[in-house]
Amino acid sequence: MAKQSPQHLDASQFTADQQFSADVVIIGSGAGGGIAAELLAKAGLQVLLLEEGAYYDRDDFVMEERWAYPQLYQEAAGRKTRDQAIGILQGRTVGGSTTVNWTTSIRTPQSTLSYWQTEFGLDFSGDNRLSPYFALAEQRLNIHRWPVPPNANNAKLQQGCERLGWEYTVIDRNVNGCANLGYCGMGCPINAKQSMLVSTIPSALAQGARLISRLSVRQLHWQGNQVQSLTAVPVDRFFHPRAEIQIRIRAKHFIVAAGAIGSPALLLRSKVPDPSGRLGKHTYLHPTVISGAVFNEDINGHAGAPQSIYSDQFVWPSDGQAGYKLEVPPLHPVLMATKLTGQAQAHAALMQQFNQLQVTIALLRDGFHPQSQGGSVSLDAQQQPLLDYPISDYLWQGMRRALLSMAELQFAAGAKAVLPIHHQAQQYQSWAEAKSAIAQLAMRPLLQTVVSAHVMGGCNMAANERQGVVNADGQHYQLQNLSIFDGSVLPTSLGANPQLTIYALVWRNTERLISRLRHGSR
Amino acid sequence: MWPKASKKRITMNRRQFILSGLALGTTVTLGLNGYQLLNSDDTANSELVLAALLPALLYGALPTAPAESDAAIRRTIAAVHDSLAFLPLRQQQELQLLFNLLAQRLGRLALSGHWLPLAELSLPQRLTLFARWRDSYLGVLQQAYHGLRELLFAAYYSQPEHWATLNYTAPRFR
Repeated sequence: MAKQSPQHLDASQFTADQQFSADVVIIGSGAGGGIAAELLAKAGLQVLLLEEGAYYDRDDFVMEERWAYPQLYQEAAGRKTRDQAIGILQGRTVGGSTTVNWTTSIRTPQSTLSYWQTEFGLDFSGDNRLSPYFALAEQRLNIHRWPVPPNANNAKLQQGCERLGWEYTVIDRNVNGCANLGYCGMGCPINAKQSMLVSTIPSALAQGARLISRLSVRQLHWQGNQVQSLTAVPVDRFFHPRAEIQIRIRAKHFIVAAGAIGSPALLLRSKVPDPSGRLGKHTYLHPTVISGAVFNEDINGHAGAPQSIYSDQFVWPSDGQAGYKLEVPPLHPVLMATKLTGQAQAHAALMQQFNQLQVTIALLRDGFHPQSQGGSVSLDAQQQPLLDYPISDYLWQGMRRALLSMAELQFAAGAKAVLPIHHQAQQYQSWAEAKSAIAQLAMRPLLQTVVSAHVMGGCNMAANERQGVVNADGQHYQLQNLSIFDGSVLPTSLGANPQLTIYALVWRNTERLISRLRHGSR
Repeated sequence: MWPKASKKRITMNRRQFILSGLALGTTVTLGLNGYQLLNSDDTANSELVLAALLPALLYGALPTAPAESDAAIRRTIAAVHDSLAFLPLRQQQELQLLFNLLAQRLGRLALSGHWLPLAELSLPQRLTLFARWRDSYLGVLQQAYHGLRELLFAAYYSQPEHWATLNYTAPRFR
C-alpha cells in the first residue's frame, strides 16, 4: 500500500474534521481524473485529486481474485443493476478501472462520432478532430499493437474468424514490458500496464498535485451558477461512507470524474439544476453475453494477455439490428464459477474442464436506436447509486443473434461442444444443434446471463443544453466552474472499449479548461 | 404483528417488502414478532442456511472425505461472510432477510414448500428446492436463486485449497 506522504493522504486515518483548498479539485482518479490531474499540475495549477478507493501499488497485487475483487472493484466486483439481471465490473481504486482493465485500447469508431454529430450536434471533425489527442494518449501510455502471438483463448477467436471469412483485428494495448501473465484484471504486479496508477498520477504528484484516497465525496454545494465547495467523508475498510468525520474542500474549479455511475450519483445528491432532464439518464453498458466452448486441447485462458484479438464483423449491421463486438475475457476460477450455469455435479464437471474451456463474449452497441435508450441512475436509502437498466426486445434479439454468431465461430474454430451462458441452455455438440436450440431460448432477465465491463453516459454531452448535461468541452451547462471529465459524458455507447476515447476526450477538454482558467473567463 | 415502525422497515424497497410480506403471513399464524424475525441472530441464521445449502450446491465439487468436505464448507462460509461486508448495505439487508427467513420454519415453508428444516432435507431435495426458485413466478425468488448461487460459487472457488480439481494454480510471481 502506498504510504502516506506530503502528496498523499489516506482519509481513513483522519481523526478529526478537515478542510482543504485548491485551484482545481478532481473527484475520481480513473481514466478521466488521471489524465486531467497530470495536465493541470504541469500547467502549474494546484490540484487536489480525490479517490473513494485505496492507493495500492504493485506489491499489493497478488494475482488472486479473493483479494482483488473486494479491494479493487465496486461492490466486490458484484455490482448489479436494480433487477440483478446485469453484473457490472467497475474499478474502485486509485487509477479507477484503468488499474484493473484488460488493456484494450481502441480509438472511437468514426461511425459513432458521425452518429453523435447527427443526433447531438457534436462536431469532432476538422479543427475539432480527436485524432491528435488519440496520438498524444497513445504516446503517453505506450499504446501499440500487441506483437506477441495471442494466447489460445484469443487464437480461437482469430481462427474462427479466418475459417468463416469474418473480420478480425490484433489489439493495441497500453503496456510497457508486459510479461504476458494474464492477470491484468487483478492489478498489474510488474507495473507493465500503463494505467493511471503508474503513469499520470505519479507524474501529477511529482509536480505538486495532492491525492486523498479512501474519501467519498457526498455533495457539491452550489449557488447561482457556481460550485462553492464540496463535502466528503472517509470510507471504512469495506469502502462504505462513514458519517463521523466531515471534510470540506473549496476550489476555483471542480472536475467530476467519478465514472458513469458515480458522477451522476454525486450530481443527483447535490441536486444540481437539470433542465434537460437527462442527468442520470441514458446510461449505457455494452450489455454483454457469453458463450463457452469445450476443446480437446488445453486453452488455459488464465494465462497470457487477456485480450489480443477482436472481431468487428457484426458491430455495424446494415439491417438496423443491434450490433455487437466479439472479444474474449480472461478465465479465472471465480469469474468462471459464477458465470457457468447449473449446479452440483453438472457445474462441477464444467469446472473440471477449466483448462479446456474457451470463452467468447459479445458486447452489444447500445444507445443507437429508439428501443435502446439505456438505463438510469437513482439513489438508494443510503444515498448510494443504483442503476436500473431494462433490456428491450430489440436488445434481446441482438443478444440471440450474438449467441448464434459465437456458437458458429466456436464450432468453426474446432470446439467439440458449445455452451451458451443461459440458464436453460445445454452443451450442444454441433453448429446445427446449437443453431436450432438457441433460436428457442427464452430471452428473459436472469435466465439469460448479461454482464458489463463498460459503463458510459448519464451526464451526456450535446451541442445544446436541451439535449445534454455538458457541452462538448465537458463544461456543465448550468454551473460554470464545473466540468465532467469521464465516460459519463458519452451520449451513446462506443462500439469499442472505452479507455482510449476517455483519455483523448479528457486530454482535449483539459487543454481547453487550462486555457479558460488562464484567461480568467470561467 | 409488526411493532412500531422501525427505521429498517421504513427504508425497505419493494423486494424487501415482498420477502417480508411472506414473513408477515407466517408471523400472523405463529404469533411471532416480525421485528424479531428481522433482527434474530443474523450470523447464526446465515451459517445454518449456508451449511445446509453448500453441500447440495457444491455436490460433485466438494472433497469426498468427510473431514475435508467439512473444512471446505467452513472455509466457504467464512469467505461468504468476508465478502458480504463489501456489498452495499441495501444488498446486505436483503440477503440477511433471506437467510433469516430460510432459517425460520414457516418462512422456509413459504419460500420452499417444505415443512422440514432445510438441514433435514436430502441433498436432491435441497437442490430441487433451489432450482424451484430459479423457475418461480416470483421475481424475488429468481433473484434469490441467482444471487445466492453467484455468492456461494464465488466464495468456494475463491479459495486456492479448492482448485485441485481444476488443475489450476495461481502463478507465484514473487
